[in-house]
Amino acid sequence: MELLLQTLINGILAAGIYALVASGLALAVGVVGIVNFAHGEFSMIGAFVCYLMFTRFGLDPLLSLGIAALVVFLVGAASYYGLIRPILGAPELNQMLLTFGLSVALQNVALLVFGAETRVVSPPYQGSTLSLAGLSFGVPQFAAFLLSLFVLGGLYWFLGRTRTGFAVRAVAQNRVAPGLLGIETQRVYLLAFGLSAAIAGVAGVMLSVMLYASPTVGFAYTLKAFAIIVMAGLGNLRGVIPAAVILALAEAFVSTYVPGGGGWVEAVFFLVIFVALTWRSWRDVFVTRRRRSPAEGRTP
Amino acid sequence: MKRVILTVFFVLMGLALAQTNVRVGVLLPISTVAGKAALNGIQLAADQVNASGKVKLELVVADDGNAAASAVPALTKLMTVDKVDIVIGGLSSGVTFALSGPVKQYNPLFLCIGAASSVVEQAFSGYDRFFHYHPWDYHNVAAAMSFFKSLYDEGAKKIAILYEDGPFGSAGIQTYQDQLKKTGFTVQAEPFKSGSGNFTAILTRFKSFKPDILYWIGYDVDALPIAAQTRQVGLEPKLIYGAPPAWPAGFEKNNLSNDVAGMTAWLPSVSNNESRKFVTAYRKKFGDITDEYMAPMGYTIVLSLGKAIEAAGSADKDKIAEALAKVQMDTPFGPLSFKPSDTGKTKYQGFNQSIWLQFQYLEGSRRPVFPANRASRPLRFPGNY
Repeated sequence: MELLLQTLINGILAAGIYALVASGLALAVGVVGIVNFAHGEFSMIGAFVCYLMFTRFGLDPLLSLGIAALVVFLVGAASYYGLIRPILGAPELNQMLLTFGLSVALQNVALLVFGAETRVVSPPYQGSTLSLAGLSFGVPQFAAFLLSLFVLGGLYWFLGRTRTGFAVRAVAQNRVAPGLLGIETQRVYLLAFGLSAAIAGVAGVMLSVMLYASPTVGFAYTLKAFAIIVMAGLGNLRGVIPAAVILALAEAFVSTYVPGGGGWVEAVFFLVIFVALTWRSWRDVFVTRRRRSPAEGRTP
Repeated sequence: MKRVILTVFFVLMGLALAQTNVRVGVLLPISTVAGKAALNGIQLAADQVNASGKVKLELVVADDGNAAASAVPALTKLMTVDKVDIVIGGLSSGVTFALSGPVKQYNPLFLCIGAASSVVEQAFSGYDRFFHYHPWDYHNVAAAMSFFKSLYDEGAKKIAILYEDGPFGSAGIQTYQDQLKKTGFTVQAEPFKSGSGNFTAILTRFKSFKPDILYWIGYDVDALPIAAQTRQVGLEPKLIYGAPPAWPAGFEKNNLSNDVAGMTAWLPSVSNNESRKFVTAYRKKFGDITDEYMAPMGYTIVLSLGKAIEAAGSADKDKIAEALAKVQMDTPFGPLSFKPSDTGKTKYQGFNQSIWLQFQYLEGSRRPVFPANRASRPLRFPGNY
């Protein structure tokens, strides 16, 4: 029973950071309509900003969150303005190739500047543990979970309660009509893409504390974020948190209860993508048949 | 006056003619910690060899990108465009295995700096221009086993192994387990995906096993998450022992590294004459010293090559190889001479398990703790995690 509860806690805590990374990606997909393969590299920039702030100025990662968010927002906004905007009307394959190229370029810039070595940020609370009724979990994981909830709460509040947030949602629903109502679509895109990058940057700060800072730190999380947004439905922000919880719990259970599961755990998100896409296509076929069948019955 | 100038001219000409000029290809993953350290060691030794005036080494450096896809074209360029006859390289086993075909095709004198996997030994068997300086994996296992035997005598009976599921972590894992069991250990082993950063589930499962030693075989990216999450799940082993090819930059300054142990072939605190000379020269050239043993390994390779070229008195690779086979010298690792490998598959093997030492992160740096004759501090066992 203790193992089961511990596994549940491990999974739920991991879901926080998964949801944060995936929310940024969902925002880019849902509003701007671009599948951003460089999303993990925005996290990597956040991780390195945190590392630099910590090593150069002794700044605690919690205090460097805002700086990282701002830096990565600007990088994201510049990427949108210089690279994404000109190809928004291009075929999706071209867009994906562009963001893939951006991902490779950013990784290589980091390699040139920082080298390939893994760098660690060492705040005093890094190894701290909370224990409750025989169950234990790390303070950084718990803090990252709470922070993720806070950031996501802020994002949902922004989208649901502010005029700019309404504009973002309007553009996500229809790309033409908001323009007729005086909403500047390009500005909304810029804001959404920058926000998406900033959220990834915040996640990167947390990754630098829980894991490390390196040019490839964001890669694995981007893959998981893709699995989550596929499960949630592309661009569906509300579905991100439950999808993140499902993925994180699936990983935790595979890792704990499947023999040799530690080696399989990274395959779980592939399975999740496969199941989600297959289920959706079967559902579509089933719904289409049901809609057609009465009409077919009346056909002479 | 004219006579003096002519005399100086002829002396200089004589020296230049007596000097053997050799162009050497250096093929390393220079963006990695170990590759950069190796390159520094190589450049330092090349300066010393060139300063002697008898041999002039010209280094042609290429990045193998730590990947076969970039290493093979880089080697091809070294051989066909830069026209080198001698190549120093082969740090990682995977890349070196991929290079075995092209090396046999172009036939250089190949001085191998790393590549411990027996798969590489098999791949280069029968190639007589292959000089392997680094110990093979079975030497590494023998060195680690002798440490674990000493821990068994100290009361450690259960060992939990976390191994990454790629070729690095998985190769020989069964043999390892068998040897540990033969020593008397109860063993539980679990694979993991390197870089995933999530070990809580496996470590939680290890809790019921209550291991005395947590032994992980992975990469630098896994070091910190394992050290942190071991504490977070309350595992409390008596020793965390890691075997990555390199440790993360700044890990020693992180409190979580305290009492974590590992294996290396060299540390700056190793007290032998050649090591002290190396440390002084390295500090003078680069301003600081590295903990990476690939730096003195690169240094040793070039010094031994310089000796061989001097003895051969020729730039001919076969004559150099012949002289290199006879080289005997003291190095920062101890004495170096070449013998056939233990399996007999390759003809020229430099070091064996005797160069390995066990260290522990203590008060912000790596200290040799085993074997006793090379230890600067006693092992802190049980460690405080």
